[in-house]
Amino acid sequence: MAPSHNSIRQMVSPLLQSFRSLSLTSQNVLPSTSRFFTSSSTMSAKSDKKKSVDPRITLIRYHLQHTATPRPLKFSRTRALRHWTIHRAWMLARRKKLEAEELELQRMYQSMHNTMEVLRTMDEKDGLGRGKEAGRLYRVALEKKGIFGQGGVPIEYARLQTDTPGREAWDHSWTR
Amino acid sequence: MALRELPSSLRRLALRDTRPTAAVAGRSWRRYTSAEAVAAAPQEVSEDFQDLESNTSMFTAFSPDDETKAYDPIKRTQGRRRELPPSRYQYRSPRYYRGPLHPHQPPPKSDPSSREFVPGPFSYTRLEQTYQSTIAPDLMTLTYVHKPPGTVTVPKADRLRTWDDSSPYHKGRPKRGPRGPGDTLRLIEQDINWRNIPKIEEVTVHSFIKGALDDSAHLHVAGMLLQSVTGVRPTIHKAKHTEGRWGLRKGLPVSLTCNMRGEQAYNFVDKCINLVFPRIKDWPGIEGKQWLPREIDKMLMQQGTTGDSSGNISWGFSREGAILFPEVEINYDMYPPKLIPGFHVTVKTTATSDRHARMLLSALGVPFYGKLVD
Repeated sequence: MAPSHNSIRQMVSPLLQSFRSLSLTSQNVLPSTSRFFTSSSTMSAKSDKKKSVDPRITLIRYHLQHTATPRPLKFSRTRALRHWTIHRAWMLARRKKLEAEELELQRMYQSMHNTMEVLRTMDEKDGLGRGKEAGRLYRVALEKKGIFGQGGVPIEYARLQTDTPGREAWDHSWTR
Repeated sequence: MALRELPSSLRRLALRDTRPTAAVAGRSWRRYTSAEAVAAAPQEVSEDFQDLESNTSMFTAFSPDDETKAYDPIKRTQGRRRELPPSRYQYRSPRYYRGPLHPHQPPPKSDPSSREFVPGPFSYTRLEQTYQSTIAPDLMTLTYVHKPPGTVTVPKADRLRTWDDSSPYHKGRPKRGPRGPGDTLRLIEQDINWRNIPKIEEVTVHSFIKGALDDSAHLHVAGMLLQSVTGVRPTIHKAKHTEGRWGLRKGLPVSLTCNMRGEQAYNFVDKCINLVFPRIKDWPGIEGKQWLPREIDKMLMQQGTTGDSSGNISWGFSREGAILFPEVEINYDMYPPKLIPGFHVTVKTTATSDRHARMLLSALGVPFYGKLVD
């Protein structure tokens, strides 16, 4: 950390020097003779003793106030048209994608629904009358035991998609 | 936008001229490059083009000469009834919205010439991608509740109280809220179906800077840090009340918030989960209890941290946690170490209950510990 700190100091140094030169010139303007009825020299002495502001804070303040915001885009007629066309195309593409995602989810939901319907009506259609066992698969499939509790979704599940996934999915032997 | 650039009367003229007549519309007056490419595609595709998509424009027989020769800008210009506005003319949307009856309406927010236009999103974050492809269907399956066709749903009683019509003034009044100490209407948890799978809507980062009461440097440094961590310019909040015990005076700037949506929110949560959480020392996870006011909390001997029973989960980073963010870590020397603040993170989800929100976040990889209270 030390070398980079030094580099920041180097970056700041022109700024600091400008401050120093400013203060020097102000002292030069003041009369050099020692006169007790002026308080300026003593005041400047006091200000020297005051704790100086950390140059990093000065720098942060400077950059917070001077935001480099580019001016708004200005396009000629044809260029604006081109921009507009591309923008419309992008919006269309995005909308298509969102709709496709939603349709896919709906398809999954409906297929789940159909499956559950089959499970529910399976035993009635059989006509065997299984008594207690009737509709067991349906009941088991709808069980929600412990999904909201601790470990409802195991932590190993949270693996984000990557281009190069690791060969070992989860290192269970890892300790700090 | 080009049409928007014209003055309204001129635009009407232009639109009238360009409206397709029946004869033109009878022919196929729209031409698609891709369709032509398919029609004109050679039967045998050379090996170089085997990998290309079928509707690539590489096969289109395109001769620029004909179109170039046919294009006569002078004739085109002279054919116009009125002159177009100069090319440098910029349409500027009105600064204020003056109501639906005003003749000058602002363009929609999605229009690049709108004042509220925000470009982007510029990337498809991997957290969102994983969510869309894996997590959302899995959550839907996990919480599936079967409703056999023909099930009669009994509508629940209205939670708002009506006025007894004892006074003629009751006629137009809105209904009263529920009875009780916290007379707010709580959200009701809905069964998850394919339209309301919980997802991250917004992330808010908040930090109360105690040192800002004495020295504004604390506020500035914290603002710079939050800006670099979240990528959003923080909003400064001033103290609403004077509170002598904390040295608060009304009107003093004391806290900062950043709101992130969409791409930025996903990126921030991704950073927290994969880069910061694993590196916090001796960190058990996020406490799985409901947030309660401090007095009640002390009574129950709990230290609740998260969940507001309407689908928002929060956690905090101490100063040591804030340092672990990659944007801070790589540029650590920029900040005076004593002034680095901690901050709170609130993830707002579309879920309407704690347990749904917590399930979403634990599927994304946020660890919860302790008893999970809803």
